[in-house]
Amino acid sequence: MSQINELTEVDIKKKIKEFIKNNFLLGNDSNLQDDDSFMGKGIVDSTGILEVVSFTEETFGFKVADEELLPENLDSINNLTAFISNKKV
Amino acid sequence: MLLHESLKSSAYKYPHKVAVVYQKERLNYSEVDKLSDALAFKLLDKGIRNGDRVALLLENSTDYIVAFFGILKAGAVAVPLNTQLVSRELAYLLNDCSPRFVITDSAHQSILKGLIDPIYVLLTDKGDCPRFAPSSQGHWDAGALGTGAPEANSLAMIIYTSGTTGKPKGVMLSHKNLSANAHSIIEYLHLKTTDSIMVILPFYYSYGTSLLTTHIMAGATLVIDNRFIYPNVVLDTMEKEKVTGFAGVPSHYAILLRKSALRKYKLINLRYVTQAGGAMAPSMIKEFLEILPHLKFYVMYGQTEASARLTYLNPVFLPDKFGSIGKVIPDVEIDILNEQGESAKTGEIGEIVARGANIMLGYWNATEETSKVLRKEGLFTGDLARIDDDGFIYLVARKKEMIKSGANRISPFEIEEVVCGMRGVVECAAVGIPDEILGEAIKLCVVKDGVNFTENDLLLYCKRNLAAYKMPKVVEFVASLPKTSTGKIKRSLLTVGSVPAGD
Repeated sequence: MSQINELTEVDIKKKIKEFIKNNFLLGNDSNLQDDDSFMGKGIVDSTGILEVVSFTEETFGFKVADEELLPENLDSINNLTAFISNKKV
Repeated sequence: MLLHESLKSSAYKYPHKVAVVYQKERLNYSEVDKLSDALAFKLLDKGIRNGDRVALLLENSTDYIVAFFGILKAGAVAVPLNTQLVSRELAYLLNDCSPRFVITDSAHQSILKGLIDPIYVLLTDKGDCPRFAPSSQGHWDAGALGTGAPEANSLAMIIYTSGTTGKPKGVMLSHKNLSANAHSIIEYLHLKTTDSIMVILPFYYSYGTSLLTTHIMAGATLVIDNRFIYPNVVLDTMEKEKVTGFAGVPSHYAILLRKSALRKYKLINLRYVTQAGGAMAPSMIKEFLEILPHLKFYVMYGQTEASARLTYLNPVFLPDKFGSIGKVIPDVEIDILNEQGESAKTGEIGEIVARGANIMLGYWNATEETSKVLRKEGLFTGDLARIDDDGFIYLVARKKEMIKSGANRISPFEIEEVVCGMRGVVECAAVGIPDEILGEAIKLCVVKDGVNFTENDLLLYCKRNLAAYKMPKVVEFVASLPKTSTGKIKRSLLTVGSVPAGD
């Protein structure tokens, strides 16, 4: 688990991109832009989004509440980066 | 009755009633009727003839509904295709049903490249299908079709299901099949014009189609939201649109219970929910009803081959009959036949055999497959069941070795056929393993020859050739596959633990 407070937004984004690339794109992220919708691009399905949540919780050390399972928090690299960055205290 | 006459009838009785809600769009019955008339004329102008197939490659949307009824009004056959499929899979289906046209949108157009001549592709978002510009030819009427207009027994739809051989089978459903089943469902769910259903199930599956046909026939409202990946968004839509019904497979309920803020919603307008598509744990049904005790929970069972439904459990009996799929629906007959072909005694296991106006005409282009399941006794479902003292039916097992993952039925043979096409694979077996959310996830056991390739290479190969929902979640490289003396793979052994590892 990383100490989220010590990570810059750039670090956070890098970790997210690495995860998405390895888990959903089998190592090839050449077609994915930072603001592409995971849902719109068909990159993740219902269980995929749960993997995104587990990754977020384990890597950045906070619990994602059920109410936070929303596209504005999770549905692109940029949205996820902003959501995680806002968890810094 | 022709299926599209139910739309005509609802448009006549409730012209201003909202038929479909999708994103920011709300279409009333009169609008759906006129738009689908216009599309029917467009197809007729393009020379469509009775019985021609028109494939639909669209997500659930107002366009889908307009296109579906437009196709039927033109006397043609609607063939909805799964939008998750990859090119290789679509090529097979298009070749099998040889559609005269494919109706799709720009988002799905590219996957058709090389599969069908572009002149036969109609794009809903590029003016190929009329939007709010009803044809100058006015209302559709049977006379406009000239001779050979469809009859009740005419083919209305082909719905593809995973076949036991690994190749999808096209289930042929007539206007009568679909209308009869819609009538039965409306009766037991007590659907009225005041009802509205939250639609998250794709229309290209039989369960989704049954939501469409029943609600249009009942003059009720379809509220479409394709964002169930984020269940809270769908729950918000349910509150906002005050839906009275929800339909899902067990994994949808698992996600609502485990991965959504369901407990924070009151859903006071929700009158009932339905569940089909595989057994749902009674504990989960109980938990759901503890959160929303005002609901009626309908457990249902059926098959695409039966236009959707065969049995349902009246919610009144649910507390006493957890685990049962209930009794036969109105206007359908069911027998449980033992291996001798006789009606099974109470408690004895037999195969569910069904008769009724809802039973399919047969499989498209597959007479032999058809004759295996449509016999003089009725439709042989391949599902094994027993009946208790009170006449309630309990599913025991499926004869077919399908993997049930989420709302999808997946043939292990199809995955195996694809994987065996990869260089370096000697043999392989795909099995379903328990998954908390999906019901079953896919495990793939692979025997390699000398060629060295990694799990990632294998997954990349699968990704190119299989829809995402058919992707293995677990891959195991093994030295050999356990087999019976006749050489059949012992699948049950692969679902648990590990077999000796290969290199």
